[in-house]
Amino acid sequence: MPDQSVSPLLEDLSLPFVQRGLWTVLALAVAAGVLGTWIVLRGLAFFSHAVGTAAFPGLVLADGLGFAAALGAIGMALLVAGAVAWLARRQPQAEDSLTALVLAGALAAGVILASDVFGSQARVDTLLFGSLLAVDGADIAFAWLAAGLVLAATVVGGSRWLATGFDPGAARAAGLRSGAPDALLLVLVAVVAVATLSVVGALLAGALLVVPAATTRLVTSRMRTWQLATVALATLEGAGGLLLAVEANAPPGATIAVLAGAIFAATALVRAWP
Amino acid sequence: MMSAPPLVAADGLSAGYGTAPTVLHDVTFAVRPGEVCAVLGPNGGGKSTLLRVLTGELAPRGGQVTRPPLVGVVPQTERSRLDFPVSALDVALMGAVSRLPWWRRPARADRAAARAALARVGLDELRDATFGELSGGQRQRVLVARALVQDAPLVVLDEPFSGLDATSAALLQRLLGELAGEGGALLVATHDVGQARAWPLVLCLNRSQVAFGPPQATLTRAVLERTYGSDLVTLPGRGDVAVQQHHGC
Repeated sequence: MPDQSVSPLLEDLSLPFVQRGLWTVLALAVAAGVLGTWIVLRGLAFFSHAVGTAAFPGLVLADGLGFAAALGAIGMALLVAGAVAWLARRQPQAEDSLTALVLAGALAAGVILASDVFGSQARVDTLLFGSLLAVDGADIAFAWLAAGLVLAATVVGGSRWLATGFDPGAARAAGLRSGAPDALLLVLVAVVAVATLSVVGALLAGALLVVPAATTRLVTSRMRTWQLATVALATLEGAGGLLLAVEANAPPGATIAVLAGAIFAATALVRAWP
Repeated sequence: MMSAPPLVAADGLSAGYGTAPTVLHDVTFAVRPGEVCAVLGPNGGGKSTLLRVLTGELAPRGGQVTRPPLVGVVPQTERSRLDFPVSALDVALMGAVSRLPWWRRPARADRAAARAALARVGLDELRDATFGELSGGQRQRVLVARALVQDAPLVVLDEPFSGLDATSAALLQRLLGELAGEGGALLVATHDVGQARAWPLVLCLNRSQVAFGPPQATLTRAVLERTYGSDLVTLPGRGDVAVQQHHGC
């Protein structure tokens, strides 16, 4: 007879959908962990939230019209990322307001499409907050593809992201005038936000994209250690939240978000302690 | 002797921001390789605006500008991102990034150049210190090291001596002289008349050009009065002039 005290966890781990979820979480921890440090460093947290939310009407459209969910999500996310980036370039001081407008518009469009056009209201919760049962092989492959893209872009373009973020004026004067590296960063935010949808959903992408990086920023002082620490913490929070969600029969996205938020709060408290 | 063609020059330059009125009018000057030019003027006189045009950050509204494609910038250190998780060496190394093709990361030789630049500004021992934790003078020197690594033919410095202790100021002064000796052209924005006298050329700005030339000929009382207006005071006993400092942007 196996030991009763460890069997629930072993049982959970033997479930195929839990294994698929863990593989996805591991890939997302790499993708969102590394990208999250750039998001926090470059002040793109609100933008990443808006892009994640923008995927929601794309998912509803894909569901209703019967084409691939990833296509709908990535299409809308890229459209919104492009629109916000283009508008913000013309009106830099209004970037936050534009992002908020787009965010509210995307959410409203998604709800109207789901309730009044396609009548797919039952799936709205899953789309907004993720579902372990929805994770399939394509999601895992997409998450690892996103992780590969983020790692490659960081290795090649990280020093440019750092130099232009640190001192945009000096970087332009020194000849770094191309908008391509920054555009790539925004595209990657859209890709990774979509990759996180299966586990955390459209509304909680920040739980993986922003919160772990914001937490580890409190205790690290160099890019490399910050990135490694964020991947480790995102893995811990993702896998821990997922298993907790299975045990408690709770939505995984919300469980991961609560766990990540609690760890951030605890870290900030310890840091602030005299 | 025929002098080299100007590395940076303006002819009837005017500049402004967005749809707001023009803030800088009619600037005409030329600086050749090996020359240091002080850009003197009160706060709001247009020094930073001129530097932004010369670094390509701001398009001129009128007139002609000649500038090299690569310009090293040493901004005011209070405007630096102190929250970035970077060491002094990381910041110096940023100077190498623009010289590399997009697919190349800074290599060992670039790191060696960054270390050498930090050693030249007297900060080799602090290369691993976090940039945001350094003193104002040390941060200023790190930003100079970044410009050294860029190896740009023109370096512009925005109020580099403001807030520096005497040791840092002397080191910076010596370093700028060395750079000019190596053939670089430098523009040093300052509101300090004493500083401006230390360099071979001075450009006086007060929303438009007041004068340009060697300080002995240029920094007359009449020019200083037009540059600083009522902020100019005569020092008792010496007949010398000084500028009243006001807090401002």
